[in-house]
Amino acid sequence: MKSRIVFFVCMWLVGLFARSQGICVDSLQRHQYIVRSTSYGIGSIRLLDTYLSPMGYAGSQLHMVRESTRMLRKGEGRISRQTLFHAYVAGAENGAGTASELAGMLDWNYAWHYNFSLADGKLRLLLGPMLQLHGGFIYNTRNSNNPAQAKLGVDLAASGMAVYRDKLKRLPFTMRYQLDVPLLGVMFSPQYQQSYYEIFSLGHYDGTIVLTSIHNRPVLRHWFTVDMEFRPFTLRLGYMADMQQSEVNDIKYHAYTHSFMIGVVKRLYRL
Amino acid sequence: MKHSMQACTVGWLAVLFFLLNSCIEEETYDNTPQGNFEALWHIIDRQYCFFDYKHAEYGLDWDEVYTRYERYITPDMPVKGLFEVLGNMLAELRDGHVNLYANYDVARYWKWFEDYPANFSDSIQRNYLGTDYKIAGGLKYTILDDNLAYVYYGDFSSGISEGNLSDMLRELALCNGMILDVRSNGGGLLTNASKLASRFTNERMCTGYITHKRGTAHDDFASPEPLYIEPSNSIRWQKPVVLLTNRRSYSATNDFVNTMRQFPLVTVMGDRTGGGSGMPYSSELPCGWSVRFSACPTYGPDMEQLEFGIDPDVRVDMKTDDMARGLDTIIEEARLWLNNH
Repeated sequence: MKSRIVFFVCMWLVGLFARSQGICVDSLQRHQYIVRSTSYGIGSIRLLDTYLSPMGYAGSQLHMVRESTRMLRKGEGRISRQTLFHAYVAGAENGAGTASELAGMLDWNYAWHYNFSLADGKLRLLLGPMLQLHGGFIYNTRNSNNPAQAKLGVDLAASGMAVYRDKLKRLPFTMRYQLDVPLLGVMFSPQYQQSYYEIFSLGHYDGTIVLTSIHNRPVLRHWFTVDMEFRPFTLRLGYMADMQQSEVNDIKYHAYTHSFMIGVVKRLYRL
Repeated sequence: MKHSMQACTVGWLAVLFFLLNSCIEEETYDNTPQGNFEALWHIIDRQYCFFDYKHAEYGLDWDEVYTRYERYITPDMPVKGLFEVLGNMLAELRDGHVNLYANYDVARYWKWFEDYPANFSDSIQRNYLGTDYKIAGGLKYTILDDNLAYVYYGDFSSGISEGNLSDMLRELALCNGMILDVRSNGGGLLTNASKLASRFTNERMCTGYITHKRGTAHDDFASPEPLYIEPSNSIRWQKPVVLLTNRRSYSATNDFVNTMRQFPLVTVMGDRTGGGSGMPYSSELPCGWSVRFSACPTYGPDMEQLEFGIDPDVRVDMKTDDMARGLDTIIEEARLWLNNH
């Protein structure tokens, strides 16, 4: 663990030194250049799961996103890899304020993007496939034999990104808009009124794994970030709208989250 | 190349347009008397699991219920009036698992025991248990004068561990038989019921079936799956058992009685059980009231309905004369039965 910390601190110092010497990123070995960020956010949530209640719940959530991107040797250096870990915990109330739900979700995403460079390299468009693993729970504090709903699934998504890099009066900044759309996947869902007692205590699993695509799981995740490079660190401000939805086994679900985030970006150069 | 890029862009825009117009929402109802009435009627209509059975039993027609009760709904009716109308509408289901919960009251249907003799008195039970009875988890037990074990389980929500059961059975090992009393046990956790039942069988048995709704139609059910009881791999009771029941033996207790009645050494004695064979789910109304209803039905080993209770093998009621003398007629009959078998 210690050696990893020392390694990353060294890489960070090398990155700083490189920038202070005016070395252009592209002059380095691009595939050894890694961008890592961690952002935290707060925002709103609108929650519906008809297995638990036909009423919508609204509340707030705390958000965390960790991202790592790097260029790969593949495709003549035009392919980048992104890994994204995204999690939130939320609390919400029904409209009458008589019941509450707690939710916790996390997803791990792995994407390869093909990079198109435009406007003398200031603008990059990225497009590629993304693998998404997601899981979590919603817990209704008032229900009896249907108190919670588990969420678990894997998706193959299309991911697109536009990245614009420029300077605002000597301040380098990077703007990025990313859109991820799951196209095909499988997810766990109990049947319409199947109890978890039946599934887990009695082992009746039939019909609980469901094929999904945009017709029964129309999901969108937008992400907009601005990175401002104050030396010696880069500040990230962001907004994420994650519109999770599904309608399988006659159970309707949505979790619409809007989050404003703040974080730090680290640029590392692997020797 | 240019054409393929354009086609790709148009395709993407079409997918995005579709996604941006694909909000998955549930039908919503206003928080008005009419809106709450509609919401409750539809929740039950889509999710309640005994419509067909109760239509056959006593002619329940949920559409007719809508017409009859909708007449009582007015825009300016008081909240308590609305609660009463909705509670009465739910009582048409004749189901102890159906309730409407407001902060100030719970609407319920309790005729399944209120219209019948109690057949249990805890003050008379004290004459048998005494004050030095033993407690193992949710179980109270003692040894009666004629060397019969008396075990009372009053609530399947009270936990029992395998250790509780093994130690209790070890304590009672020298008894000639057991009176297992689940009268006035209103149910609780099915897992506790199965844990206890597994001590009374030496073989794996199919005790019934369970199913659940697959969709909103009244008859849209999954294929029933068999329910099995596995014998415990620890100490098991090998002597005669008389299982005492009354009308308040309900829900998980009804399920327990259904399992136990299939074991060769078990005799069920007392009154018919209260029933309650649908696992209840919860939902809610726009005004915030919570509603509970039967959602997942279970059946007996021949796919027979258990919703309205299980008849005992030996029907016994408490006698007023016995009660006046501090005697529990059903326990006395059980003692007689065990001493003669």
